[in-house]
Amino acid sequence: MDFRLTSDQESLVEAVDKLALQFQHKPTEFHGFALVGDELESELRQGEYFDIAQVPEFGPLTAAMAVERLARLPFTAEIALSMLVRPQLPVDLPRPLAVVENGRPGRFVGTAKTLLVIEGERISIARPSADDVESVESLFGYPMGRLKRTIDLERLSDADAYATRKWLRVALAAEMSGLLKAAIDSTVEHLTLRKQFGRPLGTFQALRHRMAECAVLAGGVRWLMLKAAGTADDGDAALAASHAQESATRVAYEVHQMLGAMGMTLEHPLHLWTYRLKALLSELGGRGGQASAVAKLIF
Amino acid sequence: MDFSWDDEQRAFRATVREFLAAHLPRDWESLAHGPGTDWQSTFSKQFCGALAAAGLLVPHWPKRWGGRDADPWTSFILAEEMWEAGEPRGGQYMNVNWIGPTLMRFGCEEQQQRYIPPMAQGQTIWCQGFSEPEAGSDLASLRTRADKEGSTYRINGQKIWTSYAGHADTCFLLARTSPGRNGISIFLLPMDTPGITVRQIPSVIGEGDIHEVFFDDAAVPATAMLGEEGKGWEIVRTALSLERVGIPRFALATRMLHRAVDKLKQTGRFGIGAIEQAARARAACESARFYSYNIVDQRRHGLTVGAEASAARYATVMAERLVSEFVVEHVPEALAGADQMLLSHHQRAIVAGIASGAAEIQLNLIASDFLGLPKEPR
Ligand SMILES: Cc1cc2nc3c(=O)[nH]c(=O)nc-3n(C[C@H](O)[C@H](O)[C@H](O)COP(=O)(O)OP(=O)(O)OC[C@H]3O[C@@H](n4cnc5c(N)ncnc54)[C@H](O)[C@@H]3O)c2cc1C
Repeated sequence: MDFRLTSDQESLVEAVDKLALQFQHKPTEFHGFALVGDELESELRQGEYFDIAQVPEFGPLTAAMAVERLARLPFTAEIALSMLVRPQLPVDLPRPLAVVENGRPGRFVGTAKTLLVIEGERISIARPSADDVESVESLFGYPMGRLKRTIDLERLSDADAYATRKWLRVALAAEMSGLLKAAIDSTVEHLTLRKQFGRPLGTFQALRHRMAECAVLAGGVRWLMLKAAGTADDGDAALAASHAQESATRVAYEVHQMLGAMGMTLEHPLHLWTYRLKALLSELGGRGGQASAVAKLIF
Repeated sequence: MDFSWDDEQRAFRATVREFLAAHLPRDWESLAHGPGTDWQSTFSKQFCGALAAAGLLVPHWPKRWGGRDADPWTSFILAEEMWEAGEPRGGQYMNVNWIGPTLMRFGCEEQQQRYIPPMAQGQTIWCQGFSEPEAGSDLASLRTRADKEGSTYRINGQKIWTSYAGHADTCFLLARTSPGRNGISIFLLPMDTPGITVRQIPSVIGEGDIHEVFFDDAAVPATAMLGEEGKGWEIVRTALSLERVGIPRFALATRMLHRAVDKLKQTGRFGIGAIEQAARARAACESARFYSYNIVDQRRHGLTVGAEASAARYATVMAERLVSEFVVEHVPEALAGADQMLLSHHQRAIVAGIASGAAEIQLNLIASDFLGLPKEPR
């Protein structure tokens, strides 16, 4: 055990931080749901950030740190699957990637070059053309899309499906870890500035304790996801995804409570993170799905 | 960042496990080994004596006092294995974790010579006289008085919830020598001093743990004071920060969760409800584990540990809660004579959010020092 970053990790985290700085703020004029970061996407591509997991000095653990950091931004792009899942697939496939789970709409499905199609235990790969997919309006902070028609599927072997599922779980936990942190940070700022009854809301213990619990949950998600990315263990991945979905349910509720009506607006960025969390809550079978995996892999 | 154990750490853990296998009684798991029973207290001296002889009682202490200056990971691995086994050291874990190190730092030569060797040999039990009927979370309001008369202090007042007091040789006592925070002093008080009465408090957490301790003109020489008069609060803060990582409760909680699940599986009762709760509890245990490891890691690298310690404590409270609730709901027979080990764990788990500082106090610290929220008005 040694939790210091290696010098390679440190320099990558610094670089990602620097890149993230330009995308820190929601543009004031944006009053929509999915704030798509096309510029963010192109900067990541040009900097070859999508391939960091394949660089031996970095590996999936460093990629998970990058996913987490970038998920804290108000802008979104298809990052997590490209950085953490794509390198683990049996063949080299074009990004962006998206998951279609049991026929439901999914994040980035409308623009994906590669689809991972999950039907029960089975995972297949598809290469959609523009006519196969369409975007759908939603409350979620991601551009959502769906498959319009049946499409050629190439089924992954059981072993590949198994590994893919593991990295999907790590990617989910890494993304959720960043979203949780961003939602909490944004709420802490609000509680510090907003005054009622003559004092900042953050001085009221009823709120402080709940925020503290949220912070402990979010920090735990971060540890479990880093560990899963570091060990590449199936059980660790299931635990990380389980804790992420479990904690997100609680945190998404609490942070909205604490913002009052302001949290309902599209002006305030909170919904970008909480509705992304809500989108991720149901993925990979949701809490029940993760629990079954934990039962199978750990108990 | 590395999540694996190195060879030395693995070997050390194996050594501790072998020691446990060789030195715990065969029926250990079926014994009621609450931390302060007569049997446990006697056994702890035998067990800790053997640990000391094997160099496993105080490896993290300096050579001068019988240790080998082992790093924080070594002492934490040791603590994990001990707690997971059901803490056969009984109350003596306090000696090795913080009482010994505090005496090394603040004690005079005579106090060190008198008290440290018996701790290093595993032959003495201490109790911690902090809490009082009117001073729980607000510890600084404590009232037990120590009045100076020549070269003697006369102690009057009452402590409560004092663990192991019934078997303790010495009390690490906080008493008031003048008003205010700067009026608290520490005394190393032999428990056979005339004027001390100990009364056990019957409780759901097992026999022999918590006590009331009454002081009726108990006289101690001024040389029993640890550090300077009025510096007690400062010393205690430092002392407790030596042990910020706390008890590795997640280790036993994890094992007991698996034990409960195994029982359910054997009887075909591990259904969907239980599965979801078990997964949740298991993740909480793992979260507590890594919060704690993070603190050990920081200490290992010589960093000061801040509010992360409170976060680790709270993560631990959540884990203990989820595991004990799981057992109560799904293996209720454990509390009715079917599994002594699960019962003992339950009795330990339910105090996680109270003993050594209530959970709500940790939440306050997390809110201010970890999240940076503005402080509550006083
Ligand atoms: C098994 C066990 C062993 C113990 N062993 C020892 C021992 O050996 N020596 C010793 O000195 N003490 C010991 N204690 C006592 C322990 O330190 C105290 O119980 C603890 O500090 C809490 O104090 P209290 O019980 O008086 O609760 P209180 O302080 O009365 O608190 C009751 C409740 O109110 C909450 N509360 C209090 N103040 C605030 C606040 N400002 N904001 C919000 N909530 C608040 C608490 O969080 C808690 O939920 C032991 C306790 C237990 C359960």
